[in-house]
Amino acid sequence: MFKKCFSVILVMSLLVTLFVGCGSKEKEEKVEKTDSDKASVSDNTNNEKSNLEKSKEIDVFSIIGSDGQPLILPTEKKEVPDRPEDPKALAEEDAGHWWDIEYAGWTTKKENLPKSPADGAIGKKVVLLKAGDHPYWTAYVNGFTQIAEAYDIEVKILNGNWNMDLQSQQVDQAINEKPDAVIFAPVDATACAPLMRKINQAGIPIIASNTIPAEAAMKYCTAWTGPDDWGQFRMLAKYFADEMGKEGGYAIVRHMPGSSPYFARTFAPITELVDYAPDMKLLAMDTANLEAEATMQLVSDWITKYGDELKGLILAGDGFSMTGTEEALKNAGREDIVVVAAGNSKTGMDAVKNGVCSGITYQSAEGDGAIALFTAVRYFNGEEMDPVAYLPRHIITADDVDNYMPAQW
Amino acid sequence: MSAKDNTVLVKSRFNDVDDKNGISKLFDKAGVYVIALLLIILGIIVSPTKFLTPDNMLNILRAVGMLGITACGLSFVIYSSQMADMSVPSAMAFSGIITVQFLHFGLVPALILGIMFGMLIGLVNGIVVGYFRANAILWTLAMQFGMEGIMRYVWSGNQLYPDLEPGTSGAAFVNIFRMKVGPVPLLIIVMIVLYIIANFVMKKTKFGNQLKLVGSAYDVAKCTGINVRRTVLYAFLISSFTASVAGIFITSMNKLGVFYLGEGYDFKSVTAIVIGGMALSGGRGNIWGVLGGVLVMGLLNNILTFIGIPTAVQNVFVGLVFIAVVALHTYKLRKVGKDYA
Repeated sequence: MFKKCFSVILVMSLLVTLFVGCGSKEKEEKVEKTDSDKASVSDNTNNEKSNLEKSKEIDVFSIIGSDGQPLILPTEKKEVPDRPEDPKALAEEDAGHWWDIEYAGWTTKKENLPKSPADGAIGKKVVLLKAGDHPYWTAYVNGFTQIAEAYDIEVKILNGNWNMDLQSQQVDQAINEKPDAVIFAPVDATACAPLMRKINQAGIPIIASNTIPAEAAMKYCTAWTGPDDWGQFRMLAKYFADEMGKEGGYAIVRHMPGSSPYFARTFAPITELVDYAPDMKLLAMDTANLEAEATMQLVSDWITKYGDELKGLILAGDGFSMTGTEEALKNAGREDIVVVAAGNSKTGMDAVKNGVCSGITYQSAEGDGAIALFTAVRYFNGEEMDPVAYLPRHIITADDVDNYMPAQW
Repeated sequence: MSAKDNTVLVKSRFNDVDDKNGISKLFDKAGVYVIALLLIILGIIVSPTKFLTPDNMLNILRAVGMLGITACGLSFVIYSSQMADMSVPSAMAFSGIITVQFLHFGLVPALILGIMFGMLIGLVNGIVVGYFRANAILWTLAMQFGMEGIMRYVWSGNQLYPDLEPGTSGAAFVNIFRMKVGPVPLLIIVMIVLYIIANFVMKKTKFGNQLKLVGSAYDVAKCTGINVRRTVLYAFLISSFTASVAGIFITSMNKLGVFYLGEGYDFKSVTAIVIGGMALSGGRGNIWGVLGGVLVMGLLNNILTFIGIPTAVQNVFVGLVFIAVVALHTYKLRKVGKDYA
């Protein structure tokens, strides 16, 4: 009897909820309709133009990030050499082998890109699909949010939690939100292609961010913004060679296998040093999954194996990899080894300050987030844009590390 | 089943297998240390001058120090027949974050609080698994996800940095990992002390005997009047205690607390324990075997790096050793009429 009563009450309450929900949806739709009516009226009353003008007048270049640097940094272009006929046929030590990854996006033939409304960014709605949780991404969102506030952009953030299946579901959720643009930081550079196609077919513009998607995905992106890993590491490799006197053996502690930095932060220095410092010898390269204790073991083993032959280390990360390396060098009494790394976390900057590390790359996490949304703003404003916009390259050394303190993460 | 049959059944669960031939006999006597010895010989062959040096041996021990500590406590859970404690990483991260958070109270109170909060996870696990008989793997996995979410939410996914100014509690805290007694790091000493205590608890105390009975034959243990629920609870408390200690070391090493510190220590610990000869079905194996399993993992990684085999492939080797040990164990059990490891 109780079960029956409970079932009836449950069904009744669900029905009531359903009717109430539909009623409120009707109301919402009406409100939306009224808004759109208003918008269409505004077409004729120059309100849209004023939005565009107001949007263009907003000065975001004066916003300063938590590290004391401008939040919006001047983006960089780079010269794109001709693509080799068959890059994969070349040796891995040949820069041409990596052409498709290094210059991804520059020559992509775009498909079905939505046309800019050119009506300004103020009051627009944007969904950010971020890859997952990490202190870098916390800082990224900080930068993103500051730009959103400057333009009064409504933001919805969905966290992919490093899970492609979850991100796939979130793409549907993002499309249902009917945003004016989606900022997409993919969990997987290749598997994101059908997801981007889906968003594209819904008529929503995509700004890809941080991780460079594969060519198949890039064709649906209005633009891509993020760090120029290859460019940064070519610059870092030259600095590293100079610090080493262009001779001696070195090893590379790699990034997480499969990620784009796993290739960029290994083969940019290798291919660069082959030309710039041919007397330098690559002794070993391996990943320690960016874990401190695993890096400590790996570097300790290398020191034991190669002894004095090992003169330098390139680290794909300046966080836990740096901590593990620092411990291994200290335990072995080998503080003479030249260390450079991808930055710029607090751990990395402390290591530069303490003299453990000679130089780290400058990669503003807040700037990464800010430039992604700012690119969407430029799209809303109807500006012409390059398909790829890199964050500026710089090597932080003991001479200027204080300028980048406090660390963003 | 007659009383005699029953006695035989129980006896066979207590006594490790009676297969005393060839390799099995050797493994019964020396266990995982045979594998360790073979690896040492391989290391000497691979690098005659550099492998067997005090520095390299110290490197291996230092590298597996934290794994040794987590495996030590987790082995109590496995010994009690609860398969695994997948919440070890969250206990490590949580104890580290709490310690950094409360360093302004002073180093010792912060360390105590860190360990206590870490053990709270073990307490909840122990109650749910021990008293409500939830599946240990499923529940501790849920706990792991839940705790990770809580840590992310409360600290907004940020890293917590201690104040490193000289003379502060923060400076003393990050020094814990770097402290040495003579040439030996504190981490290794703590690990060895924990194993000595764990061996004493497992072999010489009433709790140890009860744990063995609970792990070997839960229902029999219950019939004899042992408080089986409380015994399982204690096993999870011990696991979370050692995870918290390891969490303090890993946080001290990294000089920061964050929710993902300790990731992977659950499966690595289980691997070391199984390689060390402790049966996942509970009640069999010993703590020195677990230490041997930990050392084998350290030796394997060291030698394979010497050979130049990449880390990804090294994991394949660890997996192969894991499979080989489980297969051997299963084979031995099947010979005496049991079909689980």
